[in-house]
Amino acid sequence: MSQNRLARSSTPGVSALQKTISKKFLLPFYIIISFLFLFSEKSDFKAIRFLKALINDGITYSVYIVNAPIKLISDLGGSARQYLNFNIILENKKLKDQIEQLNAEKRELQFFKNENDNLKRVLGIKNKDDYVSIYAKIIHEDTNEFAKNLILSIGSNEGVQLSQAIVLNNVYLGKISEVNLFSSKAMIITDLNSRVPVVIPSRGVNAILKGNGLAGAQLLFLPQNAVLENNDQIYTSGSDGIIKEGLYIGKIITDNKKDIKKRKYSVDLGFKEHQLNYVSVLKVKK
Amino acid sequence: MSTFLEKIRFYSAHIIFVLICINDSILINTWIAPGPIINIKYILVFYFSFFDKGRFSITFLFLVGLIFDSLQGMPFGMTSICFILLSILASYLKQRRTQTNFQNEFIAFVISLLITQITSVIILSYFSPTPFEYLLLAINIIVSLVFYPVLRTLLKVLYNY
Repeated sequence: MSQNRLARSSTPGVSALQKTISKKFLLPFYIIISFLFLFSEKSDFKAIRFLKALINDGITYSVYIVNAPIKLISDLGGSARQYLNFNIILENKKLKDQIEQLNAEKRELQFFKNENDNLKRVLGIKNKDDYVSIYAKIIHEDTNEFAKNLILSIGSNEGVQLSQAIVLNNVYLGKISEVNLFSSKAMIITDLNSRVPVVIPSRGVNAILKGNGLAGAQLLFLPQNAVLENNDQIYTSGSDGIIKEGLYIGKIITDNKKDIKKRKYSVDLGFKEHQLNYVSVLKVKK
Repeated sequence: MSTFLEKIRFYSAHIIFVLICINDSILINTWIAPGPIINIKYILVFYFSFFDKGRFSITFLFLVGLIFDSLQGMPFGMTSICFILLSILASYLKQRRTQTNFQNEFIAFVISLLITQITSVIILSYFSPTPFEYLLLAINIIVSLVFYPVLRTLLKVLYNY
């Protein structure tokens, strides 16, 4: 206890200025500043928005620098584990086989795509908007009881705009919810406030996918007579006109109850949270 | 040398607090539970304000709150107000008790946490358009209360209060 008192008395962090200004002044000062910040949330002044974007960028990149050693250590741990994995040769062979198989499928898909384009041309059907993807690094990932966010390394400088979809290998992850100058924030699909129009093509069913705030999502507004089975795939429907259609989201998991009306559905998302390093932001090609 | 070590020991609480605030979700979500389930940052603010009033200054709490809001996309200033309020409540409740035992301390934590979370809900519902789930918030409060004795024991070992 006496040591603590000693430590407190010799604290140099409390500056001389702060010592002289009494706490009675500091407390209301910070409360007023906080409320000013809060009221600025409701204002639509360009200058305030610009100032906030600057503060956000500053904090984001400072946190990235502060977190760099921690990330390095955790990455080193992962590399060491990989190095000590003696099944790596076997795994490598399996992965090579998988790549071969995927390449074959890709060639087949290219053939169908060309055929589809030709048919569209013959029938005079216009292509929908083309998208370009911008590569972004995830600077920070944050979750609390109210929101789930990814902070990306690109902002309005790269043409990022609100509501643009973020994907990883054509798997839909979420959408942009805030844009700063050199960084942006994306709301993950599992966020409580996330709503995505989806389609289950194998059953011809449309629905809305809502995040549950934890690690999953649930389907809303399913037709009453809809019957879904395990492993039915879910894609974005694009019916909101913002998110590109056909982005893979995940697959259905059911409890397989015989009574269809009592059947409950959950969604196995196509990505794992907290294991993302890079994503792509989809932007409409002009 | 001993003064240097004391300084490190003193500031270690600040460093832990900042690192937990910016890595809170990753730490909890990856290793403990799949969701925002424990509020370690509130536990830390309460603990250090209750046992060592001068450790976390108001300026420090205000700045960390702003960093947290920026990272989480919360209305700017909300967490700063919550941190400051929690700190004031903790030190006030400590002053009111002449005898400090675990029971008194836990009751003080319950009161402080509830008031702080209610404040955050009021601020959020007024200043932010995005809705939130009360159930998730309730789970967060309950699990934080359950987890408090564990973290408190750990902090007691580290800081000898």
